Amino acid sequence: MTQAFLELRNIRKNFDSFTAIDGVSLQIPRGEFVTFLGPSGSGKSTTLYVVAGFIEPSAGEVLLNGRSLLGVPPNHRDIGMVFQRYTLFPHLTVAENIAFPLRVRRRPKAEIAAKVDEMLRLVHLSAMRDRKPAQLSGGQQQRVALARALAYDPQILLMDEPLSALDKKLREDLQSEIKRIHAETGVTVIYVTHDQEEALRLSDRIVLFNHGGIEQIGTGEDLYQRPASAFAAGFIGNSNFIDIEVLENRNNIGDVRCPDGSTLSGVPLMGRTQTGKAQIMLRPEHIRLTAEAEGIGGHVTDAAFLGDVMAHTVLTGWGQEIMVRTPRQMFMGPPAGVGDAVRLGFAPADAFLFVPH
Amino acid sequence: MADAIAVKGVRAAQAAPPPPAPRRLRNGFAPAVPGLAFLLLCFMLPVLALLLRSLTQPQWGLQNYAALLATSTYANVLFNTFAVAGLVTGISALLGLPLAWFLAVAPRFWSQLVFGIVILSMWTNLLARTYAWMVLLQDTGIINNFLIWTGIIQNPLPLFGTMAGVVIGMVYIMLPFMVLSLRGPLAALDASLFQAASLCGASRVQAFTQVFLPLLAPGLAAGGLIIFVMSLGYYITPSLLGGAQDMMLAELIAQLVQTLLNWGLAGAASFLLLVLTLSLYAVQIRYFSPRRGKEG
Repeated sequence: MTQAFLELRNIRKNFDSFTAIDGVSLQIPRGEFVTFLGPSGSGKSTTLYVVAGFIEPSAGEVLLNGRSLLGVPPNHRDIGMVFQRYTLFPHLTVAENIAFPLRVRRRPKAEIAAKVDEMLRLVHLSAMRDRKPAQLSGGQQQRVALARALAYDPQILLMDEPLSALDKKLREDLQSEIKRIHAETGVTVIYVTHDQEEALRLSDRIVLFNHGGIEQIGTGEDLYQRPASAFAAGFIGNSNFIDIEVLENRNNIGDVRCPDGSTLSGVPLMGRTQTGKAQIMLRPEHIRLTAEAEGIGGHVTDAAFLGDVMAHTVLTGWGQEIMVRTPRQMFMGPPAGVGDAVRLGFAPADAFLFVPH
Repeated sequence: MADAIAVKGVRAAQAAPPPPAPRRLRNGFAPAVPGLAFLLLCFMLPVLALLLRSLTQPQWGLQNYAALLATSTYANVLFNTFAVAGLVTGISALLGLPLAWFLAVAPRFWSQLVFGIVILSMWTNLLARTYAWMVLLQDTGIINNFLIWTGIIQNPLPLFGTMAGVVIGMVYIMLPFMVLSLRGPLAALDASLFQAASLCGASRVQAFTQVFLPLLAPGLAAGGLIIFVMSLGYYITPSLLGGAQDMMLAELIAQLVQTLLNWGLAGAASFLLLVLTLSLYAVQIRYFSPRRGKEG
């Protein structure tokens, strides 16, 4: 592989006795939109702040174009950032905020004016140029922050949960706006979020963080279709985990026994176990409610019509709630109602097998 | 397309309902009558009487004001007054800003301890504090003795009975007002604002002058105005710690009334002081009122 644009090499960060980042290595090519996804405290934000230069790693290396960024102060890193909180300068107008990074770089006046106009057009806020931040909505403020971060054509744009303070509708509007701006500018983006849907919607690649380390790197589809761990499977998309026992292993295809004693054949073992206790993960959309005699038995405790899908919760004989989502066109006859006895059917090949640690 | 979205943005901003205006209390006048009457009788009338005297004694005309501004002794007093008030304000700002910063960022215990000390010094009797400075600033006082003992100076510094002494004593009294004015604005500052400035390419100096100071300007202006106005009319500290050459306006007024019995000139000086104070207040309201930014 040729030299990566941005490379993190075995980054570690210890705060007193607590390890925030535990050996993160990552390569990001120029122009990619990468999302750091993970629960709070997983090290994703800390890693971002290491790139920004606000946190000095305890060990490891950050390379941009092959040159170390460590020891370079944030104001010389040529990195743009949009923060979780609104960080526009309250005493400056929208246009002055966008001009700020160019003014401190002592660019010529004409160039600054042209760039401010260009940025205002980019974020569709030309009409707001003379307003103060306090007169803007939260979504508009974050768009100005985005314009300010891009005004000086930074090498990398960092975004630290920039939409988490906005409501859902506005968040989706801004997601498509961010996607469009990424496409128009071609800037390399590192985007931190704990919202898997946001990560799936925006990213070229997702870096899934857990406990200060990287759990899995891949496209959204990789993570959803081929989760590398039970954590990845549980974090991306909805999932049901069922404790099972692998009874027999035939060329990596297993016979397993479910908690209610029923058995299944043809579960891919993915080389993860020979025999013994394990878990299978099933996506809600891979399960169907059947009236046939086989499958796991249970009864419906909740049924909700969600427009394109029907969502059921089924309580199994061993007391576990299983989520089932049935696409609208798959409805056969009247859908099952609360209290109905049903059986859960699925193709064994759709089950993911994990061995709990 | 771009325009359409921009216009949509405008509409959205306009469509947001304005926050409901706070309901005004009605019929507030009647209960205020005693207080207003008191102010009218004990403040407005005497001020008018003073103005009248300054214009009529010893005869009708502006001769008292002309004397105040044209006589070099009196002009000197005016200059001294402004010099001391300006120095005290400037030094209080220079000392108060780091102190207020410390209060905002220090661990809770230290912040409260230092704040307690600042407040305690405000609550201590003014005369007691000024007499304490008299003892400290004497030629044979602790400060001079210490400096001579360490060998930094050979002869005592002229601290007592000079403008230096007055400024030192007054800064000590005024400093808490600056700290109190800056504490709120400093606590409201968001640290990520400076991270943003830094990533935007601003050096520490640029972040300080272009982000930090402008954001603190209203607090600095409020504290500065309080201190400057109070200093203009200050009496006890200048008269106890200052000398005859460094007389300030309030001392001059006292002398004119008590020693020279020149009520006309004293009235003119008092009125001048009042006008100066009110104009400074007007400037502050016009340019630094915290409400201004919100109404925009």
